[in-house]
Amino acid sequence: MNKLLRTSAAALALTFAASTTAQAAQCTNETWNKVMERGKIVIGIKADYKPWGYRDTNGDLVGMEADMAKDVADTLGVELELVAVQSSNRMQFLEQGKIDLMIATMSDRADRREIVGIVQPNYYTSGTNIMSPKALGIKKWEELRGKPVCGKQGAFYNQIVEERYGAEVVAFTGNAEAKQALRDKKCIAWVYDDSSIMSDLSSGNWDDFEMPLSSEDDNPWGLAVPKAERDCVFGRFMSGMQYNWHQSGALMELEKKWGIQPTAYLKKQNERYSDWLAK
Amino acid sequence: MGARPIPGVDVGAATDLAVLKPFDPAGRTVHDPLLMSRFLARFTWRHVLAIGLVFALWPSIAHAQGRFSYGDAFAALTKWIPLVVIDGFLFNILISFFAMGIGTAAGVLLGLMQISPSPVLRLPAIFLTQLFRNMPWLVLLFIVLLAFPFEVEMFGVIVSFPAWVKAVIGLSLPIMANIAEVVRGAVQSVPSGQWEAAESLAFTRRQTLFEIVLPQCFKRMIPPWMNWYAILTMATPLCSLLGVEEMINLSRQAIEAEDNHPELLVPFYGFALLIFFAYCYPIARWTIALERKYAVKL
Repeated sequence: MNKLLRTSAAALALTFAASTTAQAAQCTNETWNKVMERGKIVIGIKADYKPWGYRDTNGDLVGMEADMAKDVADTLGVELELVAVQSSNRMQFLEQGKIDLMIATMSDRADRREIVGIVQPNYYTSGTNIMSPKALGIKKWEELRGKPVCGKQGAFYNQIVEERYGAEVVAFTGNAEAKQALRDKKCIAWVYDDSSIMSDLSSGNWDDFEMPLSSEDDNPWGLAVPKAERDCVFGRFMSGMQYNWHQSGALMELEKKWGIQPTAYLKKQNERYSDWLAK
Repeated sequence: MGARPIPGVDVGAATDLAVLKPFDPAGRTVHDPLLMSRFLARFTWRHVLAIGLVFALWPSIAHAQGRFSYGDAFAALTKWIPLVVIDGFLFNILISFFAMGIGTAAGVLLGLMQISPSPVLRLPAIFLTQLFRNMPWLVLLFIVLLAFPFEVEMFGVIVSFPAWVKAVIGLSLPIMANIAEVVRGAVQSVPSGQWEAAESLAFTRRQTLFEIVLPQCFKRMIPPWMNWYAILTMATPLCSLLGVEEMINLSRQAIEAEDNHPELLVPFYGFALLIFFAYCYPIARWTIALERKYAVKL
């Protein structure tokens, strides 16, 4: 079954490639050819974003995105090399060619599409929310105006929270540092992905804190190939991979494997792309 | 320190006579080139014991605010120590070795250029030295990171520049400039009478430099050279900002893998502090010991 799916993914990629002969003339497929020539694909994932991409005590990169990267390499039939990237350098690494493909919890934003080749359909989504002390009783985003708010460096919503609500974001390199600052009362809230905040709250270590607001900017995540190859073989192939992950339910299985709360988004996508003959 | 202190070298000179102190026209405190080593070497076992006590008592002083206790945090640290030390700290040391090697080789060359009678060599050398000595290290690191391509193709062979190689280059630049100053200072500290005497014996400039002056300089360059090595080693965590997978970055990733409990910060970064101290302290003691030894033989 799995093999069949992979064959169909490849077939789909080929169909896409064939249907874009107009663009094919401009395609050099440089990265794709390099991967095939070397027999090795270098994929950038996070090393500081549990459970998406993090290190185990052996130093190996593991997580949901590591599994996705493995699937890509297996489908291509090439060797896999994982490279740890950070929010601040992931797009540069792809631009410089240090990595061939990036699956690094990156939100799919219009400004980012101008730099790297983000391909559809998006594989995940998350919203922005805050964690703040219950004692403060924050009810509205507007209450953050003029107040210090802790954040993580490289997150796109830092700027949004500043511009839309006038909060003063103090960005840290690590989550632990930011959350320590929240405990030390250096900021009134910690602005981050809602799914991560939810898992913190359910851990029992943050009993005096709450996630009081409704999540905003629900934003799909995108994986990216080099920009020049978005509409070429590589981009089309990755579209096929993502389509297949949604259709087969592979992403929901990975979600379960890594203990991520099931999201409505993945369920919806799974239904949307379901095979009409398989019923 | 064990040995008897030498007046005027490591304790103040005790004399009623007028002493001519180094003159600084700007009226600043006279710069001590071995300040870092002297500071580190002053730690005694009492300090170390006190710091150890703070670490041991820390869990009971600062009470954890959740279910995750400091005991859990230290247990997590124990689990990660092999990775953080072997993949992390040893990588810092490797970076420091390479940066010191490149920096020293380039620095000796630059230092000798600075004392060249030819302005074509001397002036650019002085300019480069002052430029790299006075630029913040982090700025240099970022310039090297952004200016170098990640790989270049030379004669059909692809040579790649991973981030740590760029970090080595970035760190070797300020080391080069400072070693150049050490070399220049050491050569100029040899009494000028020796140059004149050598000249009267029909030595050429090159013979005088390589056969008379530099052999004497070698010994007195060792303490400041080691001092710069200790400074460089302690600066290697800067590379974490370039995404180099060294000790600080791995500690941060380990904290992430342990679910980002703020209680993890003190054990993990405290451990990094201890490891760097344990490495640099003997170097500092040795530096000061060598300085004393050579000071007597002046």
